[in-house]
Amino acid sequence: MARVKLTDTRKETRTLAGRPVPVVVTPRFARRGRLAVFADALASLLAGMRLTFGYLVRPSTVVTRQYPENRATLKLPARFRARLRLTLDEHGYQRCTACRLCERACPNASIRILTRPGALSKHELDRYIWRMDSCVFCNACVQSCPFGALEMTAEFEHAVFDRRLLIFTLNRYAGPPASVLLKEPDEAKRAAAMEPRDPYGGPVPLNGTDLPYLKALAVAPRPDPVRHAAAPAPGGQA
Amino acid sequence: MTGALAAFAAFGAAETATAWPVKTVAARAAEALPDNVWLAVLYMALALAGLGALVSGLGMGLIYLERKIAAHFQCRLGPMRVGPHGIFQTVADTFKLLFKEDIVPARADKALHVLAPFLAMTSTVLMLGVIPYSPVLQISDVNIGVLYITAVSGLGVMGILLGGWSSYNKWSLIGAMRGAAQIISYEVSATLALLVVVMFAGTLSLSGIVTSQAEGWWIWRAPVVGGIAFLIYLTASTAEINRTPFDIPEGESELTAGFHTEYSGLRFAFFFLAEFINMFVVAALTVTLFLGGWMPFHVGGANAFNAVMDLVPPGAWFLGKTALVVFVIMWFRWTFPRLRVDQLMRLEWKILLPIGFANLALGALAVLYSLYFFPGA
Repeated sequence: MARVKLTDTRKETRTLAGRPVPVVVTPRFARRGRLAVFADALASLLAGMRLTFGYLVRPSTVVTRQYPENRATLKLPARFRARLRLTLDEHGYQRCTACRLCERACPNASIRILTRPGALSKHELDRYIWRMDSCVFCNACVQSCPFGALEMTAEFEHAVFDRRLLIFTLNRYAGPPASVLLKEPDEAKRAAAMEPRDPYGGPVPLNGTDLPYLKALAVAPRPDPVRHAAAPAPGGQA
Repeated sequence: MTGALAAFAAFGAAETATAWPVKTVAARAAEALPDNVWLAVLYMALALAGLGALVSGLGMGLIYLERKIAAHFQCRLGPMRVGPHGIFQTVADTFKLLFKEDIVPARADKALHVLAPFLAMTSTVLMLGVIPYSPVLQISDVNIGVLYITAVSGLGVMGILLGGWSSYNKWSLIGAMRGAAQIISYEVSATLALLVVVMFAGTLSLSGIVTSQAEGWWIWRAPVVGGIAFLIYLTASTAEINRTPFDIPEGESELTAGFHTEYSGLRFAFFFLAEFINMFVVAALTVTLFLGGWMPFHVGGANAFNAVMDLVPPGAWFLGKTALVVFVIMWFRWTFPRLRVDQLMRLEWKILLPIGFANLALGALAVLYSLYFFPGA
C-alpha cells in the first residue's frame, strides 16, 4: 500500500570525485499507471472499512465510561488533581510546618495560612484555609512544599448549593507538625498541643462574601476528606 | 435422514414450481371495488396507515441505529440514557423537535420556505408506495416502476433547492446549489446502472424485476455487468441521498448545515426524516434490482438448502437484505472522508459515467446473445 517503503532505506559508500563518500539511499517514488492508482485507492477504502468494522464488532474498543453508574469501579489517572489535602505521617500527625511557601506559590491567593504561637514551637499552624472556588489546580503548592505535606487527591465531586462550602480548613488540628511533636516523648502533652479543627469552622469561611442578604450558613459538617485516603492517591503517604 | 432431506427437497421443488403470485394492495382494492366499495376504501386506508407507520417507524428506527452504529464505529457508546441502551432516545428527540419554535428568517421567501420540506418529504413517500416489500405487501405495482422511481426521486432535488433558495442565507444557497448539481449528476449514473437490470429483466415493473430473479439475483446472474452496475448504483445513490462521503450539500465544517441551516422544529424534522427514509428507499431499490428483492437465497441444485431458505417469509428476506445495504451505507459514512466538490464531479463525469455507459453496452450484448447465467431455467 505504501508508495515508498522507507524501510528499504540503506547506507552505502559511493565514489564521488575520486573519494569514497558514505551516502544514504532512500527508495525512489515509483510513478505508476492510473489503473494501479485506482486499485490502490479502492484497496485503501476497503482497508478503512475493515478498520472501522473492527471497532464496531469489538466492544472492548469503546472508550466511553458510564460515569455515575461506574463510581465503584471508576479509575482515575494517578496524577489526577482535584481536592487538596494535608498529608499525615504514620502516627497521624500533620507534616505542615506553616512555613507559607505554598501560600507564596499560589498564583491567585487561594491558600491562606494562619499561625499562632505554640507551646512546643515558636509558631504553629492554626488554620490552613484553601479556597477551592478560586483554586486553578495548578499543583504549585504541592510542588513548592519541602515537607511533602500537601497532595492533590482524586476526589472530584464537589457540587454544592452554596459556594461558601468550597472554602475549607484543611488541617484537622491546630498545632505543631510531626517533626516537633515527635520530639516530645509524653503522649499526653502531644495530645494537649493538638486542638481540633473542622473543615468549615474557620474565622473567614466567607472571606469577604458575607453579605447582608446571605443567611448564616447552617453547616452540615462534611465527612472528613481523609475518607478518601483509602483510595490510591498519588504519592499518598497518609 | 435421507428421507427427511428428500422431503425437504420435494417441498422446495414444489415451492419453486409455484411461482410467487404477486398481489398488490391496489390490485386488491380494484378487485373489491365492484362488489364492495367500503372494502376497497378500507384497503386504501390500510395502505395509507401503513405508509404513515412505515415512515415514522423507519425514521425513528434508522436514526437510532445510525447513532448507535456511528458511536461504535468511533469507539463510543451512543445514546445510553433514555430507556435501556437509549432505545427511546429518538422518541424523546422527536417530541423535542415537535415542540420547538418554528423559525422563518425575516427576509426568507415564506411560501417557498414552508413548501420545501414538504416537497422533499413527498418525493420520498411517493417512492415508498411502489416498493415491493413482499409478494402481498406492495401498495401499487406501477408497470413503469423504475422510471417512476427515477422521476419521483428527482423531485426531492426541488425540496433541497427551494429550501436553500428561500432561506436567504449564503450557506443554505451554496448547499442547495451543490446538492442540486450533485444529485442531478449522479442520477445519470444511477439510472444507467438501473437500465442494465431493466434490460436483463425485460420489464420496468419492480415486482416484475423481483420475480425475474427467481433463478438468481441480477448482481451475479448478469455476468460481471451486474456486479459493476451494483457498485455504480450503490455509489451513485449514496451521492444522491447526500450521505458521506458525498455530503457536500450539508458539509457542516464548510456550510454550517447546508440547505437546512435556517430550518428548525417540525420543518427541519421533515428534511431530516426525508433523508433517512431516502436511505431506506435507496437500499430497498438496491435490494429489489440487484439482490432479488424478497426472493429467498437459493443455490442451484441444492434443493434441501433452498427449502430451508424458503421457510423464511419473503418479507423477512426483503427486510434483512435492506438492513444489510443500509448498514453498508452507514459503514461508508463513518469510514470515508468527504470529497471536495471538484473531486465529486470528477468521480461522476470522468469515472462513473464512462464505466456506466460501457457497462450498459456490454450488458446489451449479454442480453442480445443470452449470455447470462441460468438462462433456460
